[in-house]
Amino acid sequence: MKRTVFLLTAFFFLSFFSIPTASAQVQVRIRVILASNVGQIIDPSLNDMHKELGSLFNFTSYRLLRDEPMNLVPNRTVTVQGRRPGRLMEVTLVGLHRDNAQLKIRVIREGVDLLNTQVRLSPGRTVLIGGPRYGEGVVIFAVSSRF
Amino acid sequence: MTNSCSAVSKVLEKYFDQEVTGEERFLVEGHLQDCPACRDALKSMEELRTWMRVPVDEAVRKEDFPWVWQKIERGIRLQEQRSWWQSLRSWLDVTPLFRKKVWIPAVATIVVLLFISTQIIFKQTPSYQGASVVEYLESPTCNVMVYQLEEPKVTVIWMFEGPEEEHTTT
Repeated sequence: MKRTVFLLTAFFFLSFFSIPTASAQVQVRIRVILASNVGQIIDPSLNDMHKELGSLFNFTSYRLLRDEPMNLVPNRTVTVQGRRPGRLMEVTLVGLHRDNAQLKIRVIREGVDLLNTQVRLSPGRTVLIGGPRYGEGVVIFAVSSRF
Repeated sequence: MTNSCSAVSKVLEKYFDQEVTGEERFLVEGHLQDCPACRDALKSMEELRTWMRVPVDEAVRKEDFPWVWQKIERGIRLQEQRSWWQSLRSWLDVTPLFRKKVWIPAVATIVVLLFISTQIIFKQTPSYQGASVVEYLESPTCNVMVYQLEEPKVTVIWMFEGPEEEHTTT
């Protein structure tokens, strides 16, 4: 009798704690965009963001350099490499709540932190991180989540 | 009618119903050969039976016995149908585990776990629905500006690497 009760209790505890562990991941899409005033080219794959970019910035040209859909799991850092060596972005999921995910983001150039930040990102919302120079333009990282 | 008639009349009905012993049958049949009164009495019984059997046979022919049997079976089933509580109890008695009433602590454990999980899942946390909140931010090399728009729902973190870059943003 005691053993049965113990087994039942253990089973329920294990199943209870295994559910959040299994589902604790966030789908994130990181797009690396080169914005410049050279030409008037809007990358067709940026059509969904074109209005946002146009209303926020004065650039005339937006070109998609990289599009990285990824699943983030807690405390595991994911790296997005830039076109040039030594330029990269690190993203780590540090917390997951009912309606937002906490992301730690580092933008690194040649071993130096350009930016070190932590944001709470709601589903469907986008964070644009921009400014680093790249050729005749600047790089914009568009980070959006879905969970 | 003779004296033996009174003796035969006592077993005549039994003879008619074919319930007599061999000895009685021998006695009655011997008597009937010589006694027209008893033969008439036997004939009357046969006529009476015929008169009764015709309408009964007619009614039996008209009756739909399979349908009657179905009605009876339905009645039996209705009588045997148990309440949901009896069904539940019999189901719980299926396994020795439940027969020992182990399910009582198990159900209690489930209830407690559900209560705890509800508290954890629906814990009052600050709602950030629709917003992207910059919790902290540092840049040793750049000036950084943060601005947030509601329409479109975008948060912008902009790094200024040099004074000449400032004119590029609105």
